[in-house]
Amino acid sequence: MHKLTKWLTLTFLVAMVGLFVYVSADLPDRADPHAPANEHLAGEFIELTAEEIEIPNIVSAILADFRGYDTLGETFVIFTAGLAVLLVLQRGYKRND
Amino acid sequence: MTERHDSVILHFVVRVFMVPFIFAFGMYVLIHGEASPGGGFQAGAIVAAAIILGRLTLGHDHAGNRFPTRLLIWLASIGVGIYLVAGIVPLFFGANYLDYSQLPVLWFNNVAQHERTARAMGVFIVEIGVFVAVLSTLVILYDYLTERFQDEVDD
Repeated sequence: MHKLTKWLTLTFLVAMVGLFVYVSADLPDRADPHAPANEHLAGEFIELTAEEIEIPNIVSAILADFRGYDTLGETFVIFTAGLAVLLVLQRGYKRND
Repeated sequence: MTERHDSVILHFVVRVFMVPFIFAFGMYVLIHGEASPGGGFQAGAIVAAAIILGRLTLGHDHAGNRFPTRLLIWLASIGVGIYLVAGIVPLFFGANYLDYSQLPVLWFNNVAQHERTARAMGVFIVEIGVFVAVLSTLVILYDYLTERFQDEVDD
């Protein structure tokens, strides 16, 4: 039974790898400007950064302005991580005394 | 609590060359985040590396005087607070949350003699908030993890 499960898993994984390799032939090139991922908002971001924000770094403009809410959440995640470590370790520290 | 490492060469190299350079480089990455790769997260990590290097070699008792853990907890909250305030202030000027175009910062153009949009300055304010929060959080993590470790060694 154990051996059968192992072979089933192997067959499944090989089939999935074969599927992914077959599908990847249809993916657009990474630098293709007409790929679906690049047609929706990317051009708008590039134009608006030059027109309204006027800073050279488009990545910073997207990170802090167009996607500012996301970055606010990221900052809170890091802050909460520090706070959690502080609370957990501080309580353990006091209980030992 | 990390102990002070007992080597004159190490102290000299770290205090005179490495920590000042890493600090300056972190500030460069922060300030040029609008023009080149960089920004608040990266600059915060770099400066936190400088502070942790000081704690590792000079010991927490010495290096912790400049950036005590209590101050860093305040700084982490202030960093997140800067971001929140930059988001809330535009609400009072008839704009959406986090819409920096209505931030009342255009007077700074007269002070600094340059021409920048309010949104560019909003981006920079937010980067400073992220920088302070990331920097303090990383050093807080280091401080509390080593404090626990030292406590167990003593017992």
